Amino acid sequence: MKNYLKLVNFEFNRIAKLFAVLLGITLVVQLTGVMVISKGYLNMANEKIYEEMMTKAQFLEDFGRMSFIQIVKSVWFMGPIALCIAGVAFYIFLIWYRDWVGKNTFIYRLLMLPTARLNVFYAKMTSILLMTFGLVAFQLILLPIENAVMKGMVPDEFRVDMGVIQIVNSVPELALIIPNSIVELILYYGAGLMVVAILFTAILMERSFRWKGIFAGLLFSALAIVVLIAPLLLQAFVLNSFFYPIELLGIEIVIGLIVLAASIWMSGFLLRKKITV
Amino acid sequence: MIEVKAVEKSFGRKKILKGLSFTANKGEITCIIGINGVGKTTILNAIMSLTPINKGQILIDGQPVTKHTFEKITFIPDAITMLPQMTIAEAMEFMKDFYTCWNQERATELLGFFRLNLSDRISSLSKGNTAKVNLLLGLALDVDYVLMDEPFSGIDMFSREEIANVFTSHLIENRGVIITTHEVGDIEHLIDKVVLLEDGKVIKEFSAEEKRETEGKSVIDVMREVYQR
Amino acid sequence: MRKYWKFTAIFAVIVLSIGTFYVNSARSAEQYPEFEIQTVSGDAKEVKPVVLEGAYTNTSSMNYVSTNVKISAKGSAYNSRSFLDQIVGQSPTLIKEFQKKYHTFMRGKNSMVNSFFEDQQFLVYADVENKVSSLLSHDFTFQLSVLNKEDDSISSFKVKVPEAGELDHIFVEDVQLMGDEIILITQNTMRENDTFYDEKHIYTIERGNHKITSHEAIIQVPQGQLDTRIDVELVRTSPAKANDHLIMVKTERKVMEDPDGDAMTEEVIHQEILSYDLQTKEKETINLPDLQLDENQLSFYDGAVIYFMTIEGQELVVTPYSLADNQAGQVYRIPLSGEEGIAHGQMTTVKGGKLYVASSQMSPGLKIDADVIVADAQTGKTLFKGKLAVKDASEQPENFEVYLNEIVVK
Repeated sequence: MKNYLKLVNFEFNRIAKLFAVLLGITLVVQLTGVMVISKGYLNMANEKIYEEMMTKAQFLEDFGRMSFIQIVKSVWFMGPIALCIAGVAFYIFLIWYRDWVGKNTFIYRLLMLPTARLNVFYAKMTSILLMTFGLVAFQLILLPIENAVMKGMVPDEFRVDMGVIQIVNSVPELALIIPNSIVELILYYGAGLMVVAILFTAILMERSFRWKGIFAGLLFSALAIVVLIAPLLLQAFVLNSFFYPIELLGIEIVIGLIVLAASIWMSGFLLRKKITV
Repeated sequence: MIEVKAVEKSFGRKKILKGLSFTANKGEITCIIGINGVGKTTILNAIMSLTPINKGQILIDGQPVTKHTFEKITFIPDAITMLPQMTIAEAMEFMKDFYTCWNQERATELLGFFRLNLSDRISSLSKGNTAKVNLLLGLALDVDYVLMDEPFSGIDMFSREEIANVFTSHLIENRGVIITTHEVGDIEHLIDKVVLLEDGKVIKEFSAEEKRETEGKSVIDVMREVYQR
Repeated sequence: MRKYWKFTAIFAVIVLSIGTFYVNSARSAEQYPEFEIQTVSGDAKEVKPVVLEGAYTNTSSMNYVSTNVKISAKGSAYNSRSFLDQIVGQSPTLIKEFQKKYHTFMRGKNSMVNSFFEDQQFLVYADVENKVSSLLSHDFTFQLSVLNKEDDSISSFKVKVPEAGELDHIFVEDVQLMGDEIILITQNTMRENDTFYDEKHIYTIERGNHKITSHEAIIQVPQGQLDTRIDVELVRTSPAKANDHLIMVKTERKVMEDPDGDAMTEEVIHQEILSYDLQTKEKETINLPDLQLDENQLSFYDGAVIYFMTIEGQELVVTPYSLADNQAGQVYRIPLSGEEGIAHGQMTTVKGGKLYVASSQMSPGLKIDADVIVADAQTGKTLFKGKLAVKDASEQPENFEVYLNEIVVK
């Protein structure tokens, strides 16, 4: 356990720079977006009211009030999020391959540590999780700040005030990364964890068998997908909706856990018996 | 004792090790000699479980390799195994963190012996100094066995001398050492046992001292004999 | 320990940030206003068994997400929008009851109330399975399930739809059990060469030996001309009850294009009301020349009396017709609230000799009120009149809408 924590700390410290960069970009681009969109709205209002001589009431009826949701749905806001997701996805592969590439092959060191080799797997997995949740947590911190900035820029009558919770609940795209309840959080990110485990296993297969490994990795992933969809397919085509939806959810969760366990077991096996430097 | 028993290993279709067997004892310096590509690095990797073998068995003190074995045996490969952006101090810190058998005093001793600077980044070191750091990180562990892969390759003459001095010092005493090399010259006087490899097999295994005393032959003489065939 | 700062820092931030968010989220579950049925006049006891089901939307924010709500005289209950509840899904109240009481039987059954029939002893389910075997031919099979409530035995079987050669589509509109016979009333679409026409069809299936004993078309709906539309609708009845008769309304409409815009307007040319005796399989026309029903399915048949209902201006016009006597009773009108002489959508149902009427929409922003009225079904005398309101006026949100879709009388 102690070795695991030491490894997590070590791996996370290596991610820290990328993580900080993603945080920085998100902060700057989103804040800029808040200001640009708010200013844009104000400019439009000014133009309509002072140049085109529209009354305030008429303007509000035609164009509506400004709400934070407009900012959330813009590229200024979603762009950095997409970038962060891409960053994490990229790092899922990099976190392994960077130890094999170049003259200094750190993978030797990791594999020769007097600790279960699965701890290396767990540590890398945990680091990815930390980075992911860290980005989500950061977004949750940014939201009230950005909301306040918008409030500061747009006068009362021209805006609709919403709390952070309300904002998150109203935008379905946001609900994907910040789900509405803790049950959904565990389910979505649990599924994500399983996907990372499957990807890690595929990567380790490639590192163990090279070209044959890529094929094996794809096969493993395909098998996982089949096993996961099987209950849904059965439900639709064979069993005529035999299961109640909540039972189906239960079944899927169990299968998900089995796939996760299988991936971890396979990864452990590969690390101990088949990996090659 | 490190026992390698009838180990076979293929890379794809190519069979590199074709039934390799030898032993290395504690307190002895065993030298594995062979041309480039014969499988010297491969067998060391295999002993350390860094690459799988197809057939055969490898035992350390009678047991197969587990995670606990890594507190008993260390491997100093051809390239450094630390992150290039780490300083020497950070690399030592890392070893100290994870290995209970890390000997800080010995590490400091080696630092002075090799005249290395704690705050230097590994990426900035010359080849000779990199090899020395590598050696330091391996030898500062209180392990029973030390494996070294081509410790002298590409190193300048003076660094080579320094490194060779380590072999005679107390730093190596009582440990089992396996070195691989294709150039015996510098260290012939240090070697206890020689294992000659050809075509994936051991073609001769002998004690250097014995050959010298009984037959008056140096290691190089024996090599010439064996490889001429 | 200082080299652990990044890791511990991020861990702390994650736990605090995400934890706080979800704790707050759980605590401040959206404040929904409490609705009730306020008495305007009459005896409040009459409205006690009434439950209105619909959806509530707070339209002040740009949030158009709606939440299901059940409103009764005493108060309102909102469907929790928790994830698990969403998985469980929305089904009509009756289906949910069946799922609770007959968990095993209800597996794999669709959620349409009309597919079920319940009496003291049995719960019957019928549906049609459509297997497309080639481009032109289909294989239709009835799937039936009978639960014997006394011994909990379930009998499930399939019966091929007979003479399905020209059948293009079929679905089950009503299921009844009379004695040992399961009666399926279906809407069939027949294909004759290139023309299609609809018909209402009845299939009688023996519960014991699972065989179709008879089947016939009750009424055929000929395809209208180019600019006319004909359809036949069953008058609503209590879903799980058995009735001796089926009441159908056949309407022929002329479809015209509005010369000003692209809207289509329709005008009723001809309307016929038919009753079909399920035992004798005989059809009879009900003669009510002054009656013209519009498209809204407001009429109701309680097994003895047909209550023909239609909205005229701001009134609900009810024509009770006794099937046994073959005679219409006194027509009566119930005033509804509305704007400029037009009443909005309503829902109706009849139970225990009482007529229950409720508006299907409440939009204070558009000044649409939701009435709830209970009247004597035969005489039309208003026993209770009320409206939907927020219990505590101070709690009323700036702008909201409630759309109702079900009225249930317990």
